[in-house]
Amino acid sequence: MGSENPIVSLEDVVIGYETESPLVSIPNLEIFPGEIVAIAGPSGIGKSTLLGTIAGLIRPISGSITVCGAEIPSKPLRGVLGYIPQKLGLVRHASVRHNVMLGARAGTNDRKERKERVTNAIQQMGLKEKSREPIRRLSGGQQRRVATARTLAQRPRLILADEFLSELDEETLAMVLESVTSYVRDNNSALIVVEHDISRAKSMANRLLVIDDGRVNPFITKPKAVVLNS
Amino acid sequence: MKKIAVDGEKMALVLWILLLLAIVILNGMVGDWGRLAGGPDNLVRFFFQSLWPPDMSVLEPQTYPVCTAQPIFDFTCSTAWKGVIETLKIAFVATVFGMVVTLPLSIMASRNLSPRWISYPTRFLISACRSLPALIWAIFLVILVGLGPLAGVLAMTIYTVGYLGKLQYESIEGLTKTPLDAANAIGLSRWEVAVNVVIPEAANDLISHSIFMFEYNFRSGTVIGIVGAGGIGYYIDLYLRFLQYDKVFAYLIIIYIVVLIIDFISIYARSFFTEEEYLATPNWRDVFIPSWTRN
Repeated sequence: MGSENPIVSLEDVVIGYETESPLVSIPNLEIFPGEIVAIAGPSGIGKSTLLGTIAGLIRPISGSITVCGAEIPSKPLRGVLGYIPQKLGLVRHASVRHNVMLGARAGTNDRKERKERVTNAIQQMGLKEKSREPIRRLSGGQQRRVATARTLAQRPRLILADEFLSELDEETLAMVLESVTSYVRDNNSALIVVEHDISRAKSMANRLLVIDDGRVNPFITKPKAVVLNS
Repeated sequence: MKKIAVDGEKMALVLWILLLLAIVILNGMVGDWGRLAGGPDNLVRFFFQSLWPPDMSVLEPQTYPVCTAQPIFDFTCSTAWKGVIETLKIAFVATVFGMVVTLPLSIMASRNLSPRWISYPTRFLISACRSLPALIWAIFLVILVGLGPLAGVLAMTIYTVGYLGKLQYESIEGLTKTPLDAANAIGLSRWEVAVNVVIPEAANDLISHSIFMFEYNFRSGTVIGIVGAGGIGYYIDLYLRFLQYDKVFAYLIIIYIVVLIIDFISIYARSFFTEEEYLATPNWRDVFIPSWTRN
């Protein structure tokens, strides 16, 4: 990783919704191409808030965040960042295809390529039969696959995923995880995933960041955990 | 601002307090309740002497111009049919024009999609359209463009923008935040978010409000005809002047039937977008019987 530019870098970042009650402080964090970083910690500690802050949806209380060299949230990052929020953010009345197309639309302006990406992503997630169905008729697990397909069709440099593997059966979970991790590996992208299941987080990630009340440890590669203070 | 959690018991208490306050205010306004003593008797007398039975001759063909329709379709030459059709046409055109103008305006007025310097002026514009009832707009427009359906169409279009605009921007502001967050995070433009996320996500409300507006415009059309803006209101006004209340009552029955048909169309159209299975297969009972009574 050494000489490569990081995809994400956080410097002296404090996150939270109110200045008086910050949730997490991160002195220094860099995530490099090909890395999979899992964030774990108890409920309500600020894992999703951290992801939302990196996605540019929540302003950090202080500090600086850059994604692919662009300061967040001052510059729009069309197609660079893929985001799977905990509640998935799907358009419930629209079809599977329409939702996956949103990712492809952000990823490329070429209409033909968009269609190809959508078809491939839907097929990869095993949703071909459901492509015309509205999201509201799908099960929770199927909806998670649609959100993943949306990100794969986008082909972003950085994927932010918030508990995107919950509600999946073992077989589907393995398939979705393999699709996303191989995408990250093959395209030199990065994945930051919030995962409440520590053992799963350890098995999938190169680095595990644990947000807890403890002190800040230097970031160590797999399998040791890193503790961020909150 | 501090958010307040909804509590059913507290809400019921607030409702009781509001009801009590309303009764106190009404009591202050009415003063002498004894005046109402003869009201029900008067109403019954008026109903049976002047309204009942409705004079359905309004469905018979007019003597002039000569009716050229087949005998079984000769009702199409009646004043009721012509009035209803003209009112439906005015309502349809005004609703469609209103919808086309309202959709971009309501997106501009929504605070979750547009910055304040756009949303607030747009809200002022929408409020201005709504501040006068369609009847008053019709009076202005009759002066501007003369008697006839055009004045009615323009009056109802302006009012539709005011009314539908408010309903729609409130619906858009009430949308779940996560689809908008996901679309914003991946870098879609405002236009792309509006077209590909907001409109499909709010489809149920947008369709429901638009059909409600069509029904509202149909009912308004019966009133604005009174000021010469065309439609069934012209005939209602005519028979009111001649004190032919039984004919007016017949028109009211016809209007009620048309409103029920529009309501059924509304339920049917919304069934394509609802998540509740029992609403997804509508039938005629849904129009008349509230769904909760059948659970």
